[in-house]
Amino acid sequence: MRPPPLEGLKVADFSWVVAGPVVGRALADFGATVVRIESGTRIETARMMQPFYGGRAGRENSALYGTCNAGKYGLTLNLKTAEGLGVARDLAAWADVVAESYAPGQMARWALDYASIRAVNPSVIMLSTSLMGQTGPSARLAGYGNIGASVSGYQDLVGWPDQLPIGPFGPYTDYIGPRFSLVAVLAALDHRRRTGEGCHIDLAQSEVGVFLLSPQLADYFDRGTVAQRRGNADEQFAPHGVYPCLPEQGRDRFVAIAVCDDAQWPVLAAELVRPDLAADPGLADAPGRLARAGELDDVLAAWTATQRAEDVQARLQARGVPAHLAVTSADWARDPQLTHRGHLRELPDERFGAAFVEGPRYLLSETPGQVTRPAPALGQDNEHVLRGLLGYDQADYDRVAASGALA
Amino acid sequence: MGLLSGYRVLDLTDERGLLAGRMLADLGADVVQVEPLAGSRARHAAPLGDRDGQPHSYVWATFAANKRGIAVDLGHETGRHVLRQLASQADFFVESLGPGAAASMGLGWPELSEINPALVYATITAFGHDGPKAGYAETDLIVWAAGGPLEPNRDGTRPPLRISVPQAFLNAAADAAGGMLLAHHARTRDGRGQVVDVAAQACLGLNTLGRVLADPVGDEHPEWAALISPTARTDQSGSGTGTSSHLKKWRCKDGLVEFHLAIGQAAGPFTNNFFRWMHAEGAGHDALLRWDWRTLPDLVKRGEFTEEDMQEVRSATAAFLAAKTKNEILQAAIAYKLLCIGVSDTADLAHSPQLAERDYYVTLGSGRRAQTMPGRWAAVSIPAFELHRPAPEIGEHTDEVLAGWLGYDGQVRRSLRDERVIA
Repeated sequence: MRPPPLEGLKVADFSWVVAGPVVGRALADFGATVVRIESGTRIETARMMQPFYGGRAGRENSALYGTCNAGKYGLTLNLKTAEGLGVARDLAAWADVVAESYAPGQMARWALDYASIRAVNPSVIMLSTSLMGQTGPSARLAGYGNIGASVSGYQDLVGWPDQLPIGPFGPYTDYIGPRFSLVAVLAALDHRRRTGEGCHIDLAQSEVGVFLLSPQLADYFDRGTVAQRRGNADEQFAPHGVYPCLPEQGRDRFVAIAVCDDAQWPVLAAELVRPDLAADPGLADAPGRLARAGELDDVLAAWTATQRAEDVQARLQARGVPAHLAVTSADWARDPQLTHRGHLRELPDERFGAAFVEGPRYLLSETPGQVTRPAPALGQDNEHVLRGLLGYDQADYDRVAASGALA
Repeated sequence: MGLLSGYRVLDLTDERGLLAGRMLADLGADVVQVEPLAGSRARHAAPLGDRDGQPHSYVWATFAANKRGIAVDLGHETGRHVLRQLASQADFFVESLGPGAAASMGLGWPELSEINPALVYATITAFGHDGPKAGYAETDLIVWAAGGPLEPNRDGTRPPLRISVPQAFLNAAADAAGGMLLAHHARTRDGRGQVVDVAAQACLGLNTLGRVLADPVGDEHPEWAALISPTARTDQSGSGTGTSSHLKKWRCKDGLVEFHLAIGQAAGPFTNNFFRWMHAEGAGHDALLRWDWRTLPDLVKRGEFTEEDMQEVRSATAAFLAAKTKNEILQAAIAYKLLCIGVSDTADLAHSPQLAERDYYVTLGSGRRAQTMPGRWAAVSIPAFELHRPAPEIGEHTDEVLAGWLGYDGQVRRSLRDERVIA
C-alpha cells in the first residue's frame, strides 16, 4: 500500500464557509494533517446553513459544514485574546500551508499576514481566498457567494430571456474557487519541494469565476458580443431543454433532453411518434432545428408531461439520445452510477449515528482519498491540537484554556 | 519560470477537458495538445467567431491557449506508436475521448504504464468508464441534470434552469488538474504513476451547496423548494440561497442589482448598513431605520413585522436603487459594507477597473492571431504563471515537439507526413 500523497503535510485552516474549507478538506483526504480554526462564539456561517441532520438547525447539525470539513481537527480560538492570538501564531509557525478567507487586511491586523508568518516560517505557503482579491479598488468589497456570482457574470447568465435573471443555485464562485485554489497550492508545494521557496497565493473567487467565462470574454474583446441568458437553450443544438414530467408524490419532476448531432434527431422524433417531424427536411440539420426550437420544445414538453422522468431517461438513453432526469437529493443519493463510484461516504459519528459526506472528486487508483473522520464538533480537538500537534506541555495548555482563549 | 516548469503534459482532451491542461500550462508546464489531422472537435465549440474566413472557436482560442499543438492521426497504427513514444517522455497524460476510447486505441493505462510507469494518467468522462451509466449519451446539460445543480435552480412554475454557458465539464476539468497534482505528489515519494479518474457527474455535488446531502441526512425542510415570502422564512445564511431569486434582483439606472434583504444575527447587520446608506442619501424616511434586521426573525414571530411592512420596505428599496448606477452602488457597498452589488454582464467584466488594476486580462499572440482573454487566475508572490502563446494552429508545433521530445529528425518527420500520420 502506497502512503497517502500528502502524509506529513501540516495545514492551518483559518478559512470559513465553503471556498476555503473545501481546499483543506481535499488536502485532508489525501493525508495532510489539517487543523480547522474557528471561533467558539461567533459561529461560522456554514454551521448555520442547510441541510441539517434530521432537519433541525443547530451548530453541530449542518451537513454542508460536515462535508466541507471532514477529516480535519477542530480548534476553537478566540482571536480577540492575546493567548488566542499566540496559539494562532504558533499554528502558523507550525504549518506548511496556511489558508484563510478573512476580509483582506484582517490577517495583518492580527500579525498573521504572509510577511509576518514568513518571518518565523520562511517557506510557508499561504492561501488567501477572497471575493475580489487582496488588492485593487474593490478589494474591500464584502460578500457571500451570491455577490461573487454577480461580480463574475453568472447572475446575468441564468434565466429566461423574457424575465429577470435568477442566477445560479447558491454561491457559484464558492464552487469554482476551491478547485483553482487546490491546484495553486499543490503546484506551490511542488515548487517548494524543488526549490525550498514558499509563496503567498492571492486567489479571487471573482477572477476564477470569470475564468470559466473565458470564451465569452474573448468573444466580447473581439466582436463586442455580450453573452445572453437563453433559458435552457443552446447556441448550437436543438432541441435542448428541461421538460416537465409527471409529478411524483406531489413534487414536480423534470427531464433534460438534448440533441447534439443530426443522427439523434430522427431517433428522438421516432420515439415521439412524429414521423412527420422525422421526415421534415427543414429539421434535418441543427440550424433548421434551432430556427424552430420553440416549436420543438412544445412538442417535447407535451410528450414528457405524461411520463415519469426516469422512464423518459431510460427509453431515450436506450436509443442513444442524451437525456437525464433532473436529480433531487433523493435521486442523487440512490443514483446507481454514483453508488458504483462509491461517491457518497458514510462515516460513524457520535452525534448523528452516521455522517454523510461527498467523496473526493478524483479517484486515484493507487493512493485513493480517504475520509478518515467526520467534521469536528466545535472545539473537539483543542487539547490534541495544542498538546499533541503544537507540543504544549500541560501547564501551557492549562494556562491557555484558563484564559478563555479556547472558548 | 512557473510553479510547474519542467513538467511535460500530453493532452488528448477536447472541449470537455481542455481547461485542465490550460491550468497546468499557465503554471509553466509544457503542455502538448494532440489533435486529429483535421483538427479538434473543440474548434467547433460555441461561441464561434470568424478569423480570415474560418470559424474561430472562442472555446479553443481560450482553453487551448498557452499550449503547443501537434496533429497526429490516431486511427493510424503508426500514429498510435508516435503517441506512445510521446507518452514515454511525458509526466502527465490527460484525455477526454470518452469511455473506453483511449483503451481501444492501445492508449489505456495498462499500455502506457508499461512504457512509462511514472506517468500520471488522467481521464475525464461524463459518468465514468464503467458502471450502469458509463455508456450514457451525454452533453453538458445532461451531466448538469444528473449531478445535482439543475433541479433546485428554479424560480416560479417554469422548469429549472442551467447556466447558459456550459459549466459541467469545466468544473470537472479543473478537478482533473487537482487530481493530477495529487497523483504527482504521490509520485514524488516513490516514482510511480497512477490513474486519476474524474467523472463530471460526481464533481457537481459541490455545486449544490451541500443540497445533494439533504436526503441522506434526513432534511426535508420545505424551504428548499417553496417560494416563501421573506417574512415567512428564516433564511439567515446571508447568501440568500434559500430565497427566491427574483426577490434578490432589482433594477438600477444601468442594469440590475443583486441585493438580498438578509436577516438574522450573521447577515442582518449588512441589511442595517443598507438602510443607513439610504438614510444618509436622504432617501429613506426615518421609519425604515426602525427595523433591526438582526432580530427580524423574532419580530416576525411576534407579529411585529408583517408582510405589509415588507412590501413597504421593498418598494422604498426599489425606488432608491432605480436611481443609482452600478458604480455608485459598488462605491457604497465598499464604504458601507453592503451585500449589494450590480449584476455584471460580459461588457462590465471586460471593463472592470478591479480586474484592470490586477492585470487580469492578457493578450496572447500578435497580429492576426492576437487574442485577449483572462490570464493569470491567481496572484502569487513569486513568479508562478507563464502566459506566452495563443492557442495553436493545427500541427503548429508538430516538428518541434517530435524533434524535442523524441529526437525525430527531418527525414523521419517528412516520411510520417507523407504517410498522413502527422500534420
